[in-house]
Amino acid sequence: MAEVVTRDFVSATQAAVKDTQLRQALRRAGTGFDGTRREAIHEVTPEVWEEWREQARRIKEHTIGHLDYYLEMLERNVTAAGGRVHFAADAGQANAIVAQIARDNGVRTVTKSKSMVSEELGLNHVLEAQGIDVFETDLGEYIIQLANETPSHLVAPALHKTRRQVAQLFADQLGVPYSEDIEEMARIARVVLRQKFLDADMGISGANFLVAETGSLVIITNEGNGRLCTSAPRVHVGLAGMEKVIPSLQDLAVFLRLLPRSATGQRITSYMSMVTGPRRPDDEDGPEEFHLVIVDNGRSRLLADPALRESLYCIRCGACLNVCPVYQRVGGHAYGWVYPGPIGSIVTPGLVGLGQAKDLPNASTLCGACRDACPVQINIPRMLLHLRHVAAEGQGSYQGTGSDTESLFARGFAAVMSSPRLLNLGRKMGRWLLAPLANRGVLGQTRLPVVSRWTRARDLPIPPPRSFAEIWRDELSNSGSDSKRA
Amino acid sequence: MGIPSAQFRETIRAALGRQSGPPAEPYDVLAEEFPALEARAEAVRERAARETPELLDRMAETAALRGWNVQRCDGAEEALDYVTSLARSLGATSVARSEQEVFETVPVDAAVAGAGGLCWPAVYDGPSSRTEVRQRLAESDMGITGADYAIAETGSVVVLPRRGLSRLVSVVPPVHLAIVRPSDLLGTLDDLFALRRLEHVRNGGDMGSYLNFITGPSRTADIEQTIVVGVHGPREVHMVLLDKE
Ligand code: SF4
Repeated sequence: MAEVVTRDFVSATQAAVKDTQLRQALRRAGTGFDGTRREAIHEVTPEVWEEWREQARRIKEHTIGHLDYYLEMLERNVTAAGGRVHFAADAGQANAIVAQIARDNGVRTVTKSKSMVSEELGLNHVLEAQGIDVFETDLGEYIIQLANETPSHLVAPALHKTRRQVAQLFADQLGVPYSEDIEEMARIARVVLRQKFLDADMGISGANFLVAETGSLVIITNEGNGRLCTSAPRVHVGLAGMEKVIPSLQDLAVFLRLLPRSATGQRITSYMSMVTGPRRPDDEDGPEEFHLVIVDNGRSRLLADPALRESLYCIRCGACLNVCPVYQRVGGHAYGWVYPGPIGSIVTPGLVGLGQAKDLPNASTLCGACRDACPVQINIPRMLLHLRHVAAEGQGSYQGTGSDTESLFARGFAAVMSSPRLLNLGRKMGRWLLAPLANRGVLGQTRLPVVSRWTRARDLPIPPPRSFAEIWRDELSNSGSDSKRA
Repeated sequence: MGIPSAQFRETIRAALGRQSGPPAEPYDVLAEEFPALEARAEAVRERAARETPELLDRMAETAALRGWNVQRCDGAEEALDYVTSLARSLGATSVARSEQEVFETVPVDAAVAGAGGLCWPAVYDGPSSRTEVRQRLAESDMGITGADYAIAETGSVVVLPRRGLSRLVSVVPPVHLAIVRPSDLLGTLDDLFALRRLEHVRNGGDMGSYLNFITGPSRTADIEQTIVVGVHGPREVHMVLLDKE
């Protein structure tokens, strides 16, 4: 499985906010993707958009609620079409399955189209260790593969890189003349990868959707690399998280409308490939073998928790990242694993365990923008709150990870807030202590013990001279009387 | 290597706390039986036939927005003129095409020859090996296909399996030209899936190996959100939209 460095979240965010190139890149992406997404919604009208979201939500609720049934239907139909379905409980099993298929077929070169699950599994390293050449073919993925990095966004993996950085990378790694011309860089990638497509023995793809009734794997791309990966090599291996299944072909229509619009604001992508089994006798291109690897790797844990189950409705469009004030400041890498942003803050603790990722549920202002943007109406803020609660208290399969000081403070805070007398006392004491240090009513960074832990990242407002209760009693309760209004 | 599917499903059932078996409330779409499916498909076809003029206009508009160079043609002759002039302007010497009925009424081979190029069907014929045909395709200047369906809602051309290198011919060459007949047109994605679901049932549950959409040129925005066309697939796509068969 891909390495988890989510424990370093706090230090990673501090480094990220100081990275000006990253800030620039994030700003461009945030406004770009989200702007076109809003235009696309406006075009179909917000009313129609809401209908689509509800339709999608119903489909996901139903399918995930009967996931065993639809997976069985899917398996039956893939098999009937001549393909093979494999089931992996964890990353180790999934990697071993793909490695074995590669060995069985004497595979030496693999081309891959973008797959987040493959990033999650850390599959490339496993295949490379077996002496196989692996080429990512989505331009963004290719860039980060050359840079030996991980994706920083669900749909734009190299979003954190500027054109200069890519130009330098290409010059260093491919020995081409340095050029900052983006068209030229895309052309270089085309030339380098073109021959790989034709030479590869095995193509690996992700899956945006799996259609149970027909046994089909659906991928959507803009570059055409997905189609080449699944058409040219002898063997096609599709990788999918178990939540990707939808019941019927008819259900696909609404997702084909929602996904591209939510992701990049496109009305549809350039390519949609729906693959059902290997090539038939009359076909002269297409794979001779088709394998589908269905991955659990912690998903059943999310499924088992009714409070977190809806995180499995996610179609990985990235809209919640593009609207998130936290993601927009710190970028994808700070989240420390494959899935960044608001949904990553739920999926990561779910898949790798909350103990390794307890900071992530806190990486949110709970502003609710992610929920409003989500094409499947996933209530992300609610789940983040739930995880914070679980992290503090410890519950079910999760270990309590809250510190003792933290819970002491929380209890103290609760006591003060529920007693007007204590609150008033606290206000007066706070003012007396802090007012001399304040600047325009707030306390900035300070070295005061305890208080500094708050002011490290935010201002502390100084308690006002009079409480609202006092103001009400002395001035407002009379002036607002009924007699005056009458 | 992995685990048996029954065990995988058992884990899921335990997580959901449910017994095995179908959903208590049958899923509407899947519950639809053959006669109903057939009636719906028939209604889709009738509507498409009735609304052909509107669909043509809508298709032309949407396809252009999605990046197709749309050429509306009154009939085969105009279409062939367009093919010839396109082949000439590309300086095309090798043009691959799929093996498709539409070329009987729109004989593009002759049109390409008129521009001094050679148009050849991308099929594997005895003497030349698979690798040779694929290499030849990789070196060709243009690929021409028909459309099994064309969706006005999205501006997409839909292609289905047929003899030959039918998947690669539209994606490997740097230019793709699709010939769309009025009878290929459908209004919406739902229309398409209604028809395919009927075929699926008719063919005893076989979908065919693929169903591909093509909507505009290949493009990427992976470097600084700047759109570049023609990254792995064609940089230029043309749609000849026939006003009548
Ligand atoms: S949670 Fe919703 S908005 Fe975020 S990536 Fe998933 S589907 Fe898109």
